[in-house]
Amino acid sequence: MSDATLTSPTAAAVLPGEAVGTHDAGSLISMREIWKTYQMGSEEVHALHGVSFDIPKGEYIAIIGPSGSGKSTLMNLIGCLDTPSKGEYWLNAKNVSEMDDDELARIRNQEVGFVFQTFNLLARATALHNVELPLIYGGVSSSQRREMAEKALSAVDLTDRMLHRPNELSGGQRQRVAIARALVNHPSILLADEPTGALDTHTSMEIMDLFERLHGEGNTIIVVTHEPDIAARAHRVISIRDGLIEKDEKIR
Amino acid sequence: MTPGDTSQRNAFAEAPKPKRGRLSFFRITALWEAFLVAGASLRANKLRTALTLVGIVVGVAAVIAVVTIIQGLDNKVASTFSSQGSTVFSISKRPQIIRSREDFVKFNKRKNVTDEDAEAISRLCTSCWRVGVAANARETVKRGDQKMENFTMRGVTPTAMFDVDGRSLDVGRIWTEAEGSSGHEICVVGSDVVTNLFGGRSTDQVLGQEIKIAGRPFQILGVLEPLGSIFGASRDSVAYIPYSTYQKLYGARDSIVVMIQVSGAEQLEAAEDQVRTIMRNRRGHTAGSPDDDEGFSLETQDVFLDLYGKATSNIYLVTIGVAAISLVVGGIVVMNIMLVSVTERTKEIGIRKALGARRKDILTQFLIEAVAVTAIGGAIGVLTGFGLAYLIAALIGFPLLMSVGSAVLGVGVSSLVGIVSGLWPAWRAARLDPIEALRAE
Repeated sequence: MSDATLTSPTAAAVLPGEAVGTHDAGSLISMREIWKTYQMGSEEVHALHGVSFDIPKGEYIAIIGPSGSGKSTLMNLIGCLDTPSKGEYWLNAKNVSEMDDDELARIRNQEVGFVFQTFNLLARATALHNVELPLIYGGVSSSQRREMAEKALSAVDLTDRMLHRPNELSGGQRQRVAIARALVNHPSILLADEPTGALDTHTSMEIMDLFERLHGEGNTIIVVTHEPDIAARAHRVISIRDGLIEKDEKIR
Repeated sequence: MTPGDTSQRNAFAEAPKPKRGRLSFFRITALWEAFLVAGASLRANKLRTALTLVGIVVGVAAVIAVVTIIQGLDNKVASTFSSQGSTVFSISKRPQIIRSREDFVKFNKRKNVTDEDAEAISRLCTSCWRVGVAANARETVKRGDQKMENFTMRGVTPTAMFDVDGRSLDVGRIWTEAEGSSGHEICVVGSDVVTNLFGGRSTDQVLGQEIKIAGRPFQILGVLEPLGSIFGASRDSVAYIPYSTYQKLYGARDSIVVMIQVSGAEQLEAAEDQVRTIMRNRRGHTAGSPDDDEGFSLETQDVFLDLYGKATSNIYLVTIGVAAISLVVGGIVVMNIMLVSVTERTKEIGIRKALGARRKDILTQFLIEAVAVTAIGGAIGVLTGFGLAYLIAALIGFPLLMSVGSAVLGVGVSSLVGIVSGLWPAWRAARLDPIEALRAE
């Protein structure tokens, strides 16, 4: 336990000579000198070159950058789908940078709610069952699960579509099912990857309105996008280029 | 803020974390999900599932059919021989099963077993309970223009031999001691005689009637309870006559069989030893030359059971070979289909992993699917096998014994095949990188 305290971001921040700058002790996310290196044949490719930032609880943040900028790599790291080659990542006071597969699965289950561009719903399952999935892998009993999933679906106004399968729903409805699924387990962060990429303008705005409402209710939201319109809805924008943070600004 | 907002806030951000099940190797919730997914997947690909099943079904059905038929036979054989029980053995000139020409020649050189041998055993063997004499002849039996060929005439004495043979009376009576030694032409017949020569009449109507055996008239005193047939030969095509009458017909030239019964199975060994010693003395056999022929054959019913056991164990071996091959082939088919299924559902695996499924959750999901296929195949195989056995039994007239044990074994073995052949595909699915898997189409 004392080891963990020594290397925690709070402790690291007060060490003299630390180059990573100040950071908020109450941060939900703390990235410290994150590198991600891929081996391409004999060549090493650096997707991230030592990225550091903090995200406090309750923030609405957009990560923006062109394709190949390292934005997707960063998203995978934030979502605990991958671990950094170097550096430390603290999520909700847990050091996830050195976790094994099953520990990461548990963190994804408890701390992260994913919203994908292509929704990624199970085609054969009803909306209700799709929303229940994270609870199933979290070991929640079936009666409690059903109650929580129904609540989540009603919060995205899909009470009357609970027993429909994805192919019986419109794109906007599917994305709302995905959002209900992301939030059903009360995660620390809602992580959306191009959430409006497969939707028309009108539906996109509806989804973004929903995000704004969810943010207003206290959720921490991270949207990864290449669309400036979508990024403009956030309160803070981090721009990534060539594996580095180019700009990190509060816009609201 | 509107009241609606407050309730939604409760729904998400501020709601307490739900109570969670105990963390164990298998989460019950995930396990149940795995069953549901397996069921849905098998139903979604009905034709594929059916084709996958074929190998398993054939393998299991073959075993079940053969095992069922042989168990039925076993039961029949056991009940047939147990009517005499394991308390009876016999002394004869020739064993009942002769395996080679040389043996046949050797046995024919032996001295006949005679009344004197029987008398000596009866007098000297203290562990023996009942000693009797029997001699058989093949004859034709007639009544009017009706006749039966290849009919067994069995001369016996004393009347306790009915007991020793495991025979009991249906109607009528057995001859008295006085009648037995009188040489009168009287008989107790098997039920086939009533069926074949007195067609349509009830058994008590044939009492006192006459039939002609070996051209001589015999009066029927009684009819035996039917025993049925074994290996296609009827055991009711028989007439018992007093041994004295038998001697009158055939003289004393034929070798007889001495039947010995002990009062309990635990005396059998002692009685066999005594009788063997008595007979060796009477044949002048000297101990210490084991290659020499003893000059007589001492047999229990085990000789039949041994022969039968050898025959059926060969059938079992062949069947197990056939079943093993089809189960291996079936297993390979299942493995192949599971690999296809994993590839097809890569995206689904990615989604599940993103939402928190651990390696073992994915592993169990695909294992359960593989086991479900093979267990269903096993169950269909068991039913098909029973059906086949039933058909064969009905055609040939074997008795049928369907055992729960073989059904359980059939489903069990095929489930095991499922585990073995599903393990590698499931392991591949479990090890998929969630990022790569999510990218799949």
